[in-house]
Formats: sequence, C-alpha cells, structure tokens
Amino acid sequence: MSSNSSSAHLLTVQIEHWLGGMPLNAKFSLNRPWTVLFGPSGSGKTTILRSIAGFVRPDSGRIVSGTQILFDSTAKVFVRPYRRPVRSAGQTTRLFPHMTVRWNLVYGNGWTSKPAEAMGLAEELMASFGLTGIADRMPDRLSGGEQRRALVARAVVAAITFDSPEKPLLLMDEPFSGLDIVARDELLVELRTWLSRWKIPVLSVTHDVGEAFQLGAEVIKIADGRIVQQGPVSEVLTEERARLLEQLSAAAENRA
Amino acid sequence: MDFEALWLTLRLAVGTTAILLVVALPLAWWIASGRGATRALVQAVVALPLVLPPTVLGFYLLVALGPLSAPGRLLIRVVGHPLAFSFAGLLVGSVIYSLPFAVQPLVAGFSAVDRGYIEAAEGLGASAGRAFWSVVLPLARGSLLTSAVLTFTHTVGEFGVVLMLGGNIPGSTQTLSISLYDKVQEFNYAAANRTALVLVGFSIVALLTIYLLPGVGKADGRRVDVVQ
Repeated sequence: MSSNSSSAHLLTVQIEHWLGGMPLNAKFSLNRPWTVLFGPSGSGKTTILRSIAGFVRPDSGRIVSGTQILFDSTAKVFVRPYRRPVRSAGQTTRLFPHMTVRWNLVYGNGWTSKPAEAMGLAEELMASFGLTGIADRMPDRLSGGEQRRALVARAVVAAITFDSPEKPLLLMDEPFSGLDIVARDELLVELRTWLSRWKIPVLSVTHDVGEAFQLGAEVIKIADGRIVQQGPVSEVLTEERARLLEQLSAAAENRA
Repeated sequence: MDFEALWLTLRLAVGTTAILLVVALPLAWWIASGRGATRALVQAVVALPLVLPPTVLGFYLLVALGPLSAPGRLLIRVVGHPLAFSFAGLLVGSVIYSLPFAVQPLVAGFSAVDRGYIEAAEGLGASAGRAFWSVVLPLARGSLLTSAVLTFTHTVGEFGVVLMLGGNIPGSTQTLSISLYDKVQEFNYAAANRTALVLVGFSIVALLTIYLLPGVGKADGRRVDVVQ
C-alpha cells in the first residue's frame, strides 16, 4: 500500500491484536461510501471498529484516515477518540438515561460553534426518523425500536455537526439489531438520504446476511480474526446467501 | 446551650465538606477508573483514617503541624503561627480524618456508571473531561450528595483528632463533641444532654437525607451501597 496522499484511501487499517486466544490480523482499505464488516460473532469485527474509534489500542500496526495517522505502533502515535475524524455508535451504546431524546440527539454537538443549527438539525432528523412525538421523553420510556432509531439519529447528528469541512467516518456496530426487516428498511431509507446528502461515509458491522444485502454495500468478510475477502456483497456473500435461502425454504416447507 | 461551640462546629463541618468535595472528586474518579498497584496503595492510604485510632492520627498531625518537625516549622514560617491549637489546624485534621467518607461513596458511584455511557460520549466527540462532567457526574449525583452528607456529619461528630490537635479552646477549637465531654467532666448532665441531643439530631437528619431523597444513593438506576 502506498503512502501517496494524492490517491489516499478514506481509511487504511493494518492492525494486529491478540484477542485472548485468537490473533486478530486485519488489513483493508475503505473507498466506498458504505462498507460492511461481515462475520460471525467472535470473529473480531467489534475489535476492529473499536480500534478505529480509539477505544482499543492494537498491539501493533497502523490506522490512517486520509492523510492523518490515527494510530501507529512503531511511531508511537495514538490519537485520542474525540480527536479522530470518526464518530461512532458502539454495540453497547445506549441513550444517556438522564437526558430526553432531544438532548441525547444534540449531545454530539456540545463542542461546536453552532448550537442553534444543531437544534434545528435534530428537529429535522427526529421528524424523518419518527421521533418527534417522543422528543421530550426520557430513554427508559421508549420501546426498543424507538431507542434504536434515536441511537442512529444521535450518531448522524454528531457526524453532520462535526466541526470540519471534511466529514467524519461514521462507525456503527450492529445498528439495526432488534429491528424487524420492515422497521430496518424504513430506518435505512431515511438514514441513506441523510448520509448521502451530507456525504458521510459509513463502516458498519453485522453478522446478518439479509442486512448486508439490504445495505447493498461493499463487504469485508472476516472469519477467525482474518479478512477473508473484500468486494461487492453479491460476490462475497454468495454462499451465505444460498444457505440462508435454503434455510428459509426449509422453514417454509415445515410450516406448510 | 453552647452556641459558640455549635457555630464553630458548623463552620468546621462546612469548610471540611467544601474542601473535601474538591479533593475527592478527581481522586475518586482516578481510583474508580484506574487499576494496578498504585491504585491499591492510594486506596489503602485514603482508607487509613477508618481503621486508625483518631488519637494516633491527631498525635502525628500535632507533631507534623507543630514546631517539632521540619514541615511544621516551614508551615509556621508561612502562616505566621503554629497550625496546631488553631481553627486552621482543625480544618487540616478534619479533611484528612474525613477523607474516606468523602471518597468511598464517590468511588462506588463512579464505578457503577456503565463504561458504555462513557464510550458513547467519546464516540460522539466528547473529551474525557467533558464526558465526566456531562455524563459520569450526573449519573453518580446521588453518590455526590451522600459523600457530602457523610463528610459533614462525620466532621460534626469527631472527637479524638480535635482533642489531640486543637485542644479545648472555646471559640477557637472547642467543638460540640468536646464541649459535651467538658460538661460531663463538670457533672453538668442537663447541659450535656442538650448538646448530645443536637448531635443526635444532626445524625438522624443526615441519614434521612441519604435514605429518603429520591435519586440519592443511587446511580444508573441501581442502589449503591455507600454506607458499607
């Protein structure tokens, strides 16, 4: 991989990390607006995402965003999470329990110069994500689906209000878990609109074949801590798709 | 009723609580988020006043703040008078003696805050300090009040350290608990009883504050045992 900045990738990851019993060895670059890390649970997806966000310090390697080095073990560079051109919604992420939905949404904007703009933006997002009616509710009064939508909206507000002309990479770990296909589809349509309007690139994690196809994205397939393949979803996940269809039809036959 | 002693006790308790909150917040956060041998050592030192006889602590503070030791002599030169047997000296002693009562509820409260909230805040662009003020502290607010109430009441009730370090000077170092002791020595049981009742009142109000106020002694929706 060249370090030539004129053809710099969006993000280049080259890390090795000991994951209690399994070595994680990940090398890949992102160039597409939406890339999906696909693999079974325990394959190292979340660790990769957390390394990019800055919550895990890999044993060795480099992480470069555009021309900015976020992590380099030999040069001893480690940029703190909030200084990275990255916004993230982790797997264990929850809404802040002491703030209403509205205040949760604008939380990521607390450190930029345009609070009024962020408020307006949050209102717009709440309208398109179906959260307007519950804007003043505390998180413990929301259903699981409402919490999911608010979490995604919060991350999008943080990414849009990022204080730089260059938009940050949005990291989302299982952003649609707990949503059925219909709800996922609705949320995805709105999410896509916002992301493409603001040109925000995404790296998301899933172990769900259906979701990977629905996102129709570039897929990085990972198994046992290693990158197996990278490419369009229809090429990378053909086997998984066939197996899923088999299971579905078998299930349908049993039901009949 | 000994109003001079009551006023002195209140000043001492308010001063100690104010100083300790400033000291205990960063200390407790460091203990709650750290690990390793240094953390264990700091925790042990903070907890020392819990197990040490107050007279032992008072004795060493008396030596340390007085003209018998090098730091004491330096202090005397800076302040202009010996800290021992003065209100300022009492304040120093109280702060050290009540340190565990301020720190331990906060450590319990901070530890109970889910790491996921901190990562959520940092993932949205908050610095560690910002995450602490906007997320950790509000979620542990119950422990903050518990810490303040315990420090206040513990200072009101201290005896050994005050007697060793401050002596028994009315208006300057004679607190309620010392004044109570004095009255018993004089066989003035009626006056002693009135002073004792005030001290009992302080304790009951403090405990009711901790157990009755909504949200106090709780963090992240769960009750945290702060009065171990």
